[in-house]
Amino acid sequence: MHALAQPESESAWLSPWRRLRRDRIGMISLGVVLAYFAMILAATLDLVSRDWSREVGVPYASPSFLGRQPNPEASPAEGVPRPGGAPPDLSAVDPLAPKYAEWARRTAELKSGEAERAASLPWGGDRWGRDVLDKAIKGSQVSIAVGVAAALCATLIGTLLGAMAGFHGGRADDLLEWVYNVFTSIPGILLVFALAAVLRSGWLGKVFAEGIWMVVIILAVTGWTGMYRLVRAEYLKHRAREYVRAAEAIGASAASRMFAHILPNVSHVILIQLSLLVVAFIKVEVILSFLGLGVPVDMVSWGTMLAEAQTELVIGKWWQLTAATAFMAVFLTAFSMLTDSLRDALDPRLR
Amino acid sequence: MVPTLAGVILLIFFLFRAFGGDPAEILAGQVASAEQIEAIRRELGLDRPWTAQLWIFVRGILAFDFGRSWITREAVSDIFLTRLPATLTITIPIVLLEVFLALPIAMLVAYFRGSLLDRLATALSVGAMSVSFLVYIIVGQYLLAFEWGLFPVQGWGDSAWKNLLTYAPLPVLLAALVSLAPQIRLYRSFFLDETKADYVRTARAKGLSEPAIMAKHVLRNAMIPVLTNVALLLPGVFAGSFLLEIFFSIPGLGREVYLAVNRSDYPVIQAFTVYLAVLTMLVNLAADVLYRLVDPRIQFR
Amino acid sequence: MSALLTVSALRVSFRLGTGRTVDAVRGVSFAVPENATLALVGESGSGKTVSAMSILRLLPENAVVDAASRIDYSGENLLTAAPGRLRALRGREISAVFQEPMTSLNPVLSVGAQVAEVLRLHQHIPPRQALERSAELLAEVGFALPKARLKAYPHELSGGEQQRVMIAMAVANEPKLLIADEPTTALDVTVQRQVLELISRLRERRRMSVLFISHDLGLVGELADEVVVMRDGEVRESGPVGRVFNAPRDPYTRALLACRPPLDARPRRLPVIDDFLRGGGVPEGGELRRPEGDGGIVEARDLQKQFRLRTGWFAATVIPAVRAISFRLSRGRTVGLVGESGSGKTTVAMLLMRLLDASGGEVRFAGVDLLRLSPRDVLPFRKRIQVVFQNPYASLNPRFSIGRTLTEPMRIHRLGTDDAGRTERARQLLQRVGMPENSLRRYPHEFSGGQRQRIAIARALAVEPEVLICDEVVSALDVSVQATVLNLLLDLQEERGLAYLFISHDLAVVKYMSDEVLVMREGEVVERGAPEAIYRDPQHEYTRKLLAAIPR
Repeated sequence: MHALAQPESESAWLSPWRRLRRDRIGMISLGVVLAYFAMILAATLDLVSRDWSREVGVPYASPSFLGRQPNPEASPAEGVPRPGGAPPDLSAVDPLAPKYAEWARRTAELKSGEAERAASLPWGGDRWGRDVLDKAIKGSQVSIAVGVAAALCATLIGTLLGAMAGFHGGRADDLLEWVYNVFTSIPGILLVFALAAVLRSGWLGKVFAEGIWMVVIILAVTGWTGMYRLVRAEYLKHRAREYVRAAEAIGASAASRMFAHILPNVSHVILIQLSLLVVAFIKVEVILSFLGLGVPVDMVSWGTMLAEAQTELVIGKWWQLTAATAFMAVFLTAFSMLTDSLRDALDPRLR
Repeated sequence: MVPTLAGVILLIFFLFRAFGGDPAEILAGQVASAEQIEAIRRELGLDRPWTAQLWIFVRGILAFDFGRSWITREAVSDIFLTRLPATLTITIPIVLLEVFLALPIAMLVAYFRGSLLDRLATALSVGAMSVSFLVYIIVGQYLLAFEWGLFPVQGWGDSAWKNLLTYAPLPVLLAALVSLAPQIRLYRSFFLDETKADYVRTARAKGLSEPAIMAKHVLRNAMIPVLTNVALLLPGVFAGSFLLEIFFSIPGLGREVYLAVNRSDYPVIQAFTVYLAVLTMLVNLAADVLYRLVDPRIQFR
Repeated sequence: MSALLTVSALRVSFRLGTGRTVDAVRGVSFAVPENATLALVGESGSGKTVSAMSILRLLPENAVVDAASRIDYSGENLLTAAPGRLRALRGREISAVFQEPMTSLNPVLSVGAQVAEVLRLHQHIPPRQALERSAELLAEVGFALPKARLKAYPHELSGGEQQRVMIAMAVANEPKLLIADEPTTALDVTVQRQVLELISRLRERRRMSVLFISHDLGLVGELADEVVVMRDGEVRESGPVGRVFNAPRDPYTRALLACRPPLDARPRRLPVIDDFLRGGGVPEGGELRRPEGDGGIVEARDLQKQFRLRTGWFAATVIPAVRAISFRLSRGRTVGLVGESGSGKTTVAMLLMRLLDASGGEVRFAGVDLLRLSPRDVLPFRKRIQVVFQNPYASLNPRFSIGRTLTEPMRIHRLGTDDAGRTERARQLLQRVGMPENSLRRYPHEFSGGQRQRIAIARALAVEPEVLICDEVVSALDVSVQATVLNLLLDLQEERGLAYLFISHDLAVVKYMSDEVLVMREGEVVERGAPEAIYRDPQHEYTRKLLAAIPR
């Protein structure tokens, strides 16, 4: 109805940023996400949770905020009656008897490397007495790193292929459509399972035995299709626009048109989709790690914590479940709300 | 559909062939001599050129005879057919519930757009979606089955009816509830997109009331993206039902594949992947036909 | 004539989120007489549509109507009426027809169902009777086989037919007032006339009032009894159409009337709004002088283009878009190409620029056949022949600053010494097209349509071409802005001896700008000649139809 020529300010990112600043929920979400990233940075630099795998507490140590709780699993030997009285003196027939005093003296001199195990930890302990809070922080680092890395890879693949298909059309598009159809006909989880089976038992399994890259590859290879579809549709739309025709008319090359001209106009859409992918991939990683198909055994992620939590729940130990769930839910909620606010801020209709 | 199927076959074949472990070594196990491995290799036809192997593979698919599982020695096709019913018993009710529960709720939420109810619902659903599906299953299984005994914790029977009525409800309920929030959000956006259209303004200009506009005009147009979306639902539904099978020890396809992955039982994984891909393609085709029926702008080719 | 509906002191503003509001209508008053047509005329942004839509309260959710505004109809204030009352009025006593018929009809319901719906809503008649009545209505609005059309879907009808359906729905319940919001703007010129005549006929026959909204003052002159001219949310002038056209009091009205290219003369400069608002009148300058002679640069011969649409695996249908067009572009002169949508005129431009590959024919530029060149060899020619497109909102990259848009072609063709040199040239170009220097650092969305079009012209000139193709360059602009751009183009042509290929659907504009006119229809040239000859003595029937469709 009303085509207003707004005397707004400069670049394409400045006014969205201003709009985001005014969105209170968006800013709070941004704050939470940044706090998590700071925590992850600290964990990556080993400033915190470095020794998450050390068994610092008694098994199933209870959370500190609950105060002292009876912990029958911590010392299974309790309840068994022990014989009272001092040990009998057998020094007459015991060949080792002269040595006892010396050994006792030397034992007292040695310091044991084994520290005293805590009876309670900030958020409790798991079956082996590992600190749940440390695990949750380290798990955040791993799960979020996997999610972000996989999202970036999937975005790269999807954007490149989508740009080529949408811009060139014709046979390139037909070929890529075929590839897309092949990948989307296979139910996602089956493709993930197949990839997991192959990568673990094949020669690549030895290459990727350590670290998160196997999971990242699995996620990226199964998850690029959504981004492809989106970018392809955008390129199809923009290719017919007059500013692209004009670029061709002044002699800009195809590569220039694809990446210098169209890509900046599509970047808002890609950014939003990237954020959505991060959330989706984190959720899948959690499931994969739960099933044992995700991160290697020596790493901890929210998924591995949940796997342990399942059996712990039956005996009434709920702290690992709540820790993993809480850390995950807070991050994903904040990230999702941030994505929503970003989408509102970048909405081109307001221009 | 045929070229896509061909592509799927090629993809699976090359994936396992190029990246997978040596099947002979896997089958032979840890303590096998070189001759044993050679013998198995010949038996499986691994000494033939890859084109011949591809042909064996394709033939297996077309004849629905995939050889035998490397672990259980059961015919793969048998495994598939015996596990299929269980998966269907869970999957179909989930799809039906997802669509038919979410649609009316989404319509209502779209009708009251912008109101406090709408924003509250949005905030709640974002929070609900941030909790992993696993947590819902773990807690659901624990509370509803273990603690309160409303449903059996695990298990599966022989009779289809008993399965549907006794063992399926808890898993189906959990899956439907978890998917409710995202489905509602999605359908809500479809409805909202339609309410901004010009023909809605025309309908108002004619004097129609808002509820009538929603039910008569918007709904029919919104069905188009809903139907397109049904095909996209499937991968998520499969993922959900597979997980449920693993949790509840339901002898379905998903649980079978999971076991196969852990045991590197290649034939099972390959066959199931291809057949389920075929199933997905068929469902997409059906959705396509339905879509053309609803949208008169699309002509039948 | 007593008033059917009176609008008093209407004030409407829009909330743009984040606390900002924009005033769209600032105190507008007018009265719609009974049994007559009132035209609301104004350019885009004048508030005419918002004013009309306020009557039925069909405004978007973020609209705010001032409490002191009144719209009186039949003894009540529509702005404060209860929703139920409003719904009873809509479609029955007051109805509306909108600008874009394709999207205004529900795509999944048949045409008959949609017409029947409005009948059943207000008259409570059984379905079968409603369908019969719908068929009668379709016949009344000009459908040849109404019963068959009942089952048709909107996308199966042409634009003109869709609009007729909208009109049928609007008059179905014998309304007292029909609001028509730019009903013909999206239609072809020849169809426009038919729809306008239909509205006139219906108005007389049913004795209803019509509130007609348009940006085209000329169009309105034939149709309306009274006119209200709006600008920037205010009424500039109102009165009976005869008085307003013959003795306009407001300078803006006078400017609107004068800015269109006249059909009977060819002044050197077209008047623009500013000429009038500053208190002046039609500018001096005498007749336009055109160079003679044959400085022929581009010669197109038998240009052809067919499109192949794949309809299946191996089958395809061939659509001929351009069939054997020939013309010659000379230095300092303009060849005009006029035709409706689908005539192939824009395709010709694409072929000339090698943005599409031709199916046949040749285009000789300085002896070289452009169509046979490999893509790499075409590059140097892009310096010599350039194009300006129709849509100023789409032809500039929204993410590029103006400076970048202007210097990019220079960089590609290695003009200018270095970046500083190129920026300097860009600055000079902007100055030449009348844009402020600080535009270099700004972005397209900060400029209006006319300004963007001038920037697009500057971009085309950046490589110093010899030939310029103007593809509907003023069609998307308001009348007053059109004149500015056309004047600029003429100035540039005189200065630099450019050869123009001027493409438009607007015969008046083409006639004014061109030295030779080619009339195109369905890919062929049906008539060609000097503009005067075409105007006074059209040979082909289609040309006659085009001429008849021009208002006044």
